[in-house]
Amino acid sequence: MASTVIGAGITIEGEVTADDDVVVQGTIRGKLTSRDAVTVESGAVVEADVASGPLSVAGAVTGNITSTSRPARRSSAT
Amino acid sequence: MAQARTKNTVSGDASLIGAGTRVRGRVTGDGDVVIGGHVEGDVVVRGDVTIEDGARCTSNVEGHAVTVAGELAGDVSASGPVVVGATARLRGNVRGAQFSMEDGASFAGRVECEFELPDGLGEDHAAPARRR
Repeated sequence: MASTVIGAGITIEGEVTADDDVVVQGTIRGKLTSRDAVTVESGAVVEADVASGPLSVAGAVTGNITSTSRPARRSSAT
Repeated sequence: MAQARTKNTVSGDASLIGAGTRVRGRVTGDGDVVIGGHVEGDVVVRGDVTIEDGARCTSNVEGHAVTVAGELAGDVSASGPVVVGATARLRGNVRGAQFSMEDGASFAGRVECEFELPDGLGEDHAAPARRR
């Protein structure tokens, strides 16, 4: 169960810092930091430096990625 | 709570800023936003905005129905109803289609809201009045 969900219609411009897992369906520009897992779903746009636990990407991520595990790229990832 | 989370996870355009999450920046777009964490920055959405008990926001909030149950420093502008819950601590001006405040809420600010005067009261003021 995700504790933070950025919905498909939502854009965050700035810095997101989370203790728990984050699911991105919308857009984040800036910086995304989570101590737990980050999931970038299909259709999501992340133009941000990402520092997280396990990272799973099905959408688009542009930026530096620092993850505790190797990012899992799904088929639609860019 | 568990239900709300399930709903937000399943629904495509609802967003949830969890209790352990901090946002510094601007939140914009369509869909509902539920804030349980900390937000420093304006929240401008077309859907409903809910600031839960325990949440802390330093934001101007714009949305349809706006519910405040946590701490908010900033102005609220709603196209729908504004509800200030019993646990709310709100410092800012409120503008909305309807306004209600529950017992126990703390509110410092101004309310700007159209309302109907009761029958027989002030025929001269039948036009939408502004309550301050």
